[in-house]
Formats: sequence, C-alpha cells, structure tokens
Amino acid sequence: MALIRPRLTDHYGILRSQAELDFAIPFLDEDIPLYVDPFMLWRSPSQQDRSLHTVLLNAFNHLGYLAKNGLEARAVENLVAASECEEVGLGTSANRRGKRIGREKANEIVSLFKRIPQYGRAGFRHIEEIQFFVDGISKDRISDLTCSFLKSFLIDFTLQQSEKLGIPTQVTDVNNVYDDRKNAFETQRGLALPAHPRTGSPLLFVPKRWLRFVPWLNYDDYFEKYCPQDEISHSPEELTRVEVLNYNREHYGVIDHYIEVKERTFEDCHNDPLFSQIPVTFAKRKLSTLQRLATGKDGGADRKYETLVGQLLPSLLYPKLDFAQEQARTESGVSIRDLIFYNTASTPFLADIHRHYGSQQITIELKNVAAVEREHIDQLNRYLAEELGRFGILVTRNPLKKAEMRRTIDLWAGQRKAIVALTDLDIAQMVELFESKQRNPIDVIIKKYTEFRAKCP
Amino acid sequence: MVMKSEGDVKRLEKLIGLLQSLHAEISQLTRKSANDGLNIFKLRIVNKILAEADTILLNEYKPLENFAGFEEDALPTNSDVTMVLALYMEQAERFRSDNVVYADYEWNYVVNGKSSGIESSPPSTIGAHKK
Repeated sequence: MALIRPRLTDHYGILRSQAELDFAIPFLDEDIPLYVDPFMLWRSPSQQDRSLHTVLLNAFNHLGYLAKNGLEARAVENLVAASECEEVGLGTSANRRGKRIGREKANEIVSLFKRIPQYGRAGFRHIEEIQFFVDGISKDRISDLTCSFLKSFLIDFTLQQSEKLGIPTQVTDVNNVYDDRKNAFETQRGLALPAHPRTGSPLLFVPKRWLRFVPWLNYDDYFEKYCPQDEISHSPEELTRVEVLNYNREHYGVIDHYIEVKERTFEDCHNDPLFSQIPVTFAKRKLSTLQRLATGKDGGADRKYETLVGQLLPSLLYPKLDFAQEQARTESGVSIRDLIFYNTASTPFLADIHRHYGSQQITIELKNVAAVEREHIDQLNRYLAEELGRFGILVTRNPLKKAEMRRTIDLWAGQRKAIVALTDLDIAQMVELFESKQRNPIDVIIKKYTEFRAKCP
Repeated sequence: MVMKSEGDVKRLEKLIGLLQSLHAEISQLTRKSANDGLNIFKLRIVNKILAEADTILLNEYKPLENFAGFEEDALPTNSDVTMVLALYMEQAERFRSDNVVYADYEWNYVVNGKSSGIESSPPSTIGAHKK
C-alpha cells in the first residue's frame, strides 16, 4: 500500500518532522494549503527578507516603467510569466498544477501604473495592492507573483536545505527565473534540485516564516473594516466586488489609508503554522463530550466519536507525530475511519516502531463500540502492510476482552504485528498530560505498547 | 536487622527526611491531579531515593518484593508514586522504631545491640516492641 498523502521527505526516508524544518515540506500529490505573504518579508526583522521585498517591488514596478515607455507588450509578457510558480506547490490545487493569468488580466494590472497617478509616479509599496483594483486577483496569485520574482533566492534556499538534509537532487532546468540585472525572466539550466519522483519536475522549498493562510493586506479585510460601503452604494448589502474595485480606482486615498493602518499594526502580523494545536480548554471540552457519548451508531454517535477523536489526537500527538490525514476506507462493506500520521522517528520509541515494524506512517483506527470484536482486530490487521507498517493503534471505548487481547498477542507471535488499544481512560490521561505538560501525551501510547509487549511471548 | 554504626543512623535519618519531603510534595500533585504522569526529572529523583532506601531497608523491612523503581515507559501517575512512597515511609519508620530504646529517660538509637546515646524520637505504634 502506498503512503497516504506522501511528502517529499517521507518519500526519501528523511525522518524529520515539519516542526523541525525551516521550510514547508512539499506534498507530492497536492499543494501546501498556505500562501507566501509578501508582507511577511516587509515586516521581517531580517535585513535579508526586507531586501528581498525591495527586489520584489523593484521587479514589479519595472513593469510600470516598461508600460510608461511604450513597452506594454513586454510588461504583459513578464507578468504572465510571473503569474504562476508551479515549483513551490502552494495553494489548493489537488495536482500541483496552476494556470497563468491571461493577457487581458495582465493588461489590466499593467494599466494600473497609468490609471492611478501615485503608482505611475512612485510605484507600488506592496504588490498585494493590486487586489484592490483588479478582479480575480487573490492570495494565490499574490503568492505566485512573489515566488516567481524571488525564484532565484528560492533556488538557493532549496539547494542549501537539500544539502543540509541530504535530499536527493537531479540536474534540471528551471523556467521563468527572474534576472534583476536584465529585468527579464529566463531559464536557468543544469541546476541540481530536488525533483518530483514521478514527474521529474523541479521542486522549490519556501521558508515557513513567509507563509500565511491569507495575506495581511487582503480584500475581505479591507471590504469589511475599511471600505466606505455607504459611500459606494445606497444599498451596501447589494454591493458587488467590481463596484468596490471601480470605486478604489477613483479613490486611491482610501486604499492608501488602509495600507498605512496595516503597516502601523505590522506587529500583529505573524506567519501561520502548518498545524496548530487546539487549546487545552478545547481539548478538555472534547474529552468530556467524548466520555458522555454512547457507544454504537445510534444518533450518529459513531460519527461524533470519530470527529472528536479526530480533533483530539492530532493535537495531543503534535509535534512528535505529524498528522497526515483522516481517511475513510471500506472493507467488506464496513465503513472504517482512520487517522494517519507520518512517523518521522522523532523519539526513541517511534524510531523503534519505524525500524521494527517498518512504519513510515502510523494508522489509528477508531471504533465506537462497547466491546471490540475479533473482526475489528482483523480489519486493522489486514490494513497493516508495507509503508503503513505492522504497527497499528485501535482507539475504542473500553479495554479489549481477553479473547481479543489474545488475538492481538497471537498476531504479534505469528506475524510480528503490534496492535495497541487506547481506551477512554487512556485518552483522558493523554488530555491530562497535554494540560499539565509533565510528560508527553505520546507516553501513554508507549505505556500501552510496553504493557502489550510484556504480554507477548 | 541492626544498625552497625553512627553512619547507619545518619543514613536512616536522612532517608526518612527525604521520603517525607517527597511524599509531601507528590501528595500535593496527587490532590491536584491523581492521574497525571510524574515528569521524568521528578521520577528519576524518586527512583534514586528509592534505590538508596533499598540498601537500608533490607529483608523483613523491604517494602515491596520485586520492585526495582519506577519504569519511565510505564508512565507512573502521581497517585502511583504517592502510594509507593507511603509504603517506603512506613517501613522506614518500622525499622527506626525497632531500633530505638528507652534509656536514662530518653529514646536512643540502638547500634550494635546497645543504646548508642544518639537521641531519637519515640517509636511509633508500628514498631516499639523494645520499649
């Protein structure tokens, strides 16, 4: 069985968790659901990041210079080239492929330099400002433009990180790398970069510190809090985006004010983590709901149980285990819900599981039943193979009965597969440890595994 | 089991003091959260003191047969540790009570079978058979 939601590092057997690394680990089959926010470069205390922001602005404002000097076609061509940066794989695409903007849209952006006198005279202070004037430009496009203009830096960053971690590279060509001496995009040939294992296309890493779910300067924030909606329309509830954008073009001062306010409050702008744990109070509330929940399926109790455990465990086990995804599978007509975690061997126990059971990923199967039956053990047993390894966790309500415990011991004796059961009491203890921080919640799994192994022959 | 020197008396008194302090500290944690795990740092200190206790409380005074300290992987809870410390305290006190004697209007430790002149507190009801 193939890895679930494979990441580049897992593919190459590089055992590092996301929390340890400076860049967002690329997924092989989908994009990372975050975006580069150029404001993070502007507000950074690092001179390097701020210089990169200047490079970005110079490159973007050069489009205005071209437009003003009758070279609109070249400006449009550059902008179209910059509008997609597939190598970084950020956004929501399910196949790591995006579309460039059309020439018409590019023309509309380039025309801002002529249409808005301030931009014609002094250029943009933040490239995100284009969202307030041109329809169809949002966080993904801003992110791609930023990455394209800074691709040369991202290549260096990727080379450095690959070397540090020992990520295999292959010699490849990278298209559309911006050369700020020529102010043009060109193809850089013969670069040793990590490549997608199937397609062979080059991959670029992006520093985690630049990533946010939405840019600090964004249309929705502007529209909700700063846009003079009453002034634009007598019936603000019917206000369309295009009307607001048209208004903005004629009233640059409103946008200017918005940018000033956002620049002043820059200290509130932080990068978004790729995963954030739920707060302790939230975890305790989830646990208390879980403990009151009936076993079985009545009233959708099984679904509620799966949701609650699905919300708790990724937070309780972070950062020792990175959550991959929740997965539904059907076996013999029975719907089964699993939580899959990447095993980066971040503790001696997890390294042991990785080595002895071949678990590159760890499967946790959820069962809201009063008593686990033999078939439940067998379902998980069949699932434990190849990359998922021979170690699995069954999260259920009560301890295994003698016969089922015997079955798990027999599986270890016969096939060297380990199935450990966590009950409500164990989850409660994990939540308690999550709150007290005296031990790590994963220690509960270690305890259960130690108890299990003590029973094995 | 007898004490053979003044050094043995000092070791016993030190052990009793340490067990009492540990028990008081961890009882507080237990009252707050009985099911919570004791952190590794505290657990190692507890194990060190219990190992020392096992060299003093021998034979009939050994609190638990086949117990060789807490395993970190077993994730002992506050209440587990409190209970074991209570058992060790009780046996330490029994050992002390069995090794004091009343002489010249005061309680003294018995060393090598005779009153040592080292003053002790009166025995508890657990021991005291030499009164």
